[in-house]
Amino acid sequence: MLDINVYNSDFENKWCPGCGNFDILSAMKNAFVDLGISPQKLLIVSGIGQAAKTPHFLKCNAFHSLHGRALPIATGAKIANHDLTIVVNSGDGDCYGEGGNHLINAIRRNIDLTLLVHNNMVYGLTKGQASPTSELGTVTKIQLHGVISAPLNPISFALSLGATFIARGFSGDGEQLSKLIESGVTHKGFSIIDILQPCVSFNRINTHSWYKSRVYDLEKTDYVPDNWMRAMEISQDWGDKIPTGIIFQKDTPSFTDRIDTLKESTLINKKYSEERLNNVLSKL
Amino acid sequence: MNSSNSVAAGAGLGLMEVAFESLSHILKKKFQSKSKDVVEMNLSAAKFGYDSVKDISLKTTLKWNRRKPKGALIDGSKAFALGALAGDCRFASFYPMSPATGIMAQLSLLADDFPLVVEQAEDELAAINMIIGSSFAGVRSITATSGGGFCLMTEGLGLAGITETPVVIINAQRPGPATGLPTRTAQGDLLFTIRAAQDEFPRFVFAPGTPFEAFQITARAFKLSEKYQVPVILLTDQFLNDSLFISEKPFRAPKSIPRFTVEDKDIKAPEQYNRFKLTKSGVSPRALPCNGEALVVVTGNEHSEDGHISEEIKDRVNMARKRRSKVKNMIKEMKPPQLLYEKSKTLLVCWGSTKGAVMEAVEVLRSRKMDVGCLIFSDIWPFPSDHVISALEKCKKFVMVELNQTAQLGQLIRELTGLSYSDAILKFDGRPIYPNDIVERVIQFI
Repeated sequence: MLDINVYNSDFENKWCPGCGNFDILSAMKNAFVDLGISPQKLLIVSGIGQAAKTPHFLKCNAFHSLHGRALPIATGAKIANHDLTIVVNSGDGDCYGEGGNHLINAIRRNIDLTLLVHNNMVYGLTKGQASPTSELGTVTKIQLHGVISAPLNPISFALSLGATFIARGFSGDGEQLSKLIESGVTHKGFSIIDILQPCVSFNRINTHSWYKSRVYDLEKTDYVPDNWMRAMEISQDWGDKIPTGIIFQKDTPSFTDRIDTLKESTLINKKYSEERLNNVLSKL
Repeated sequence: MNSSNSVAAGAGLGLMEVAFESLSHILKKKFQSKSKDVVEMNLSAAKFGYDSVKDISLKTTLKWNRRKPKGALIDGSKAFALGALAGDCRFASFYPMSPATGIMAQLSLLADDFPLVVEQAEDELAAINMIIGSSFAGVRSITATSGGGFCLMTEGLGLAGITETPVVIINAQRPGPATGLPTRTAQGDLLFTIRAAQDEFPRFVFAPGTPFEAFQITARAFKLSEKYQVPVILLTDQFLNDSLFISEKPFRAPKSIPRFTVEDKDIKAPEQYNRFKLTKSGVSPRALPCNGEALVVVTGNEHSEDGHISEEIKDRVNMARKRRSKVKNMIKEMKPPQLLYEKSKTLLVCWGSTKGAVMEAVEVLRSRKMDVGCLIFSDIWPFPSDHVISALEKCKKFVMVELNQTAQLGQLIRELTGLSYSDAILKFDGRPIYPNDIVERVIQFI
């Protein structure tokens, strides 16, 4: 078994004390230890935002990219070498705002990645503006009279697009979260885990205790995440009771499984052939 | 049954004084699977069209060479696609946009027989970021678009620049701005391309003039992009991509593909590997992620040698200098512009796909005893100033021939060599330039 300390990075962490990101980071490390994925075998791709800084605080191969663009970067890397284990750290702004189109299409492709969306319902890095998941009426320094656009429901959104693994976690339940991350990484296909987390600096409503008093674990009920209609129904639950856990899962071939060229070997391991190209060129 | 197409074909070819046998040969071949009646009807329709223009003569007469041409019949799009394979490209991602789509269509046709994956991205942002991701993971990758799509890609271009990830981007120009003239041709993106994306970072820009050059330069682009860990942009246009050319030079695959990446065994202490290690050449040994002990960390933020974010003055300055310092060797890779009739008093200067028209115009002018030569650029950026100065300093004057409004290459020459063009033949109506357009104007200048 791997020592959890192998993931320790000596890069200075500047997240606010009490930030939900710390718990998500711990849950990730625990999941990787349980799965036996060493830092050398792990590629983390991220966009921009406080969540997207995660790979700097954890020893691994990392591509900290552009706002919203983590999924296409990760998709390209997976196509080049489908043996890679790729985890994407993103936030509600990065993933549901700037990168919305990429999320739609990553789901459609069913590319075998695990997407962790650190969803604190606010922009943290840019200091407190509304995000696509901010609730109606949320007052910020920009939305002075409250948010007037309806919040995105990531779970029903992902379901409607046919996502093959959808879960909701909570940064305050590390044990459950690390199990969800393990299940997401093990799932063959695109996994999205929307992780509810407090923002101690900019979201004074959806705090740790706000979530704590509302979340419940679907696994401790008789819920089975294999029925799409039932999942859609559960995805609408928000308010006094917020369901967490695996909401929907199904087995469908992933993007790279569907490409004949990738059946026998990864793209990176294929060989150039002068003869093969000259065969085509000689017919010009 | 409608055979008006055949009437029109007959009339059109009749005006151009093509022998009727050529047309009837094509029609018989075209309709061979149809009944005899269909063939006969189309032949008589064509003949009707052909005969009806008998008494009309065009200003220009064309000479028809009945010999079978030697060489390959190929358009630019196919040549770019084959050139990518000759550069061992294995992944192509694109969003459809004229006149670049043909390149991806050609790559798709080849994908079943080569280790190649072609993916239609959800937008140009995804297209370029996908190829950055695949290249980061070790696979040579390409995207192709036109000016509007390239605008969207500039964000990713900067990411390739700061993460020093090799990528090859084809910008097939059409007139703009915005949607412009989607199916027409232009050379209006040169200055945009060499400066595209915020701040400063090195890149190569090439503009092949023929399908053969498109093939060779694309293969070379993959090598240079990986050797220097910089993006390469290939400028083409609707005219080069969509026109058929006869290429006499044989297309040949390279024997082998040199790679410019390292593994654990090439690194002294792989566990302490730094992706952005400072070196004299500015090029750091490039390991691939998840390929050994060496951890590869990159970021679009400014960073220290280990690839982690840094706001330290020393890191910012060192990294900006490191990237910049590649240019001195990159310039040595630039081939001088092609100089024809070097001792001429007047040189016509052009780049990219106007090459053929300019060369033909020079021959016409010389046949009229005019002392005209030409200087043709394919390797444009980093700008090969020394080559350009030595080519231009002997002539009395030089004239720019470009498909834009402001003589963009002419501006660049003046900026970087101090030499000024005396006149410019500029066409920006979306149509290709013809030798006659050039000849008529040059006669006025001299």
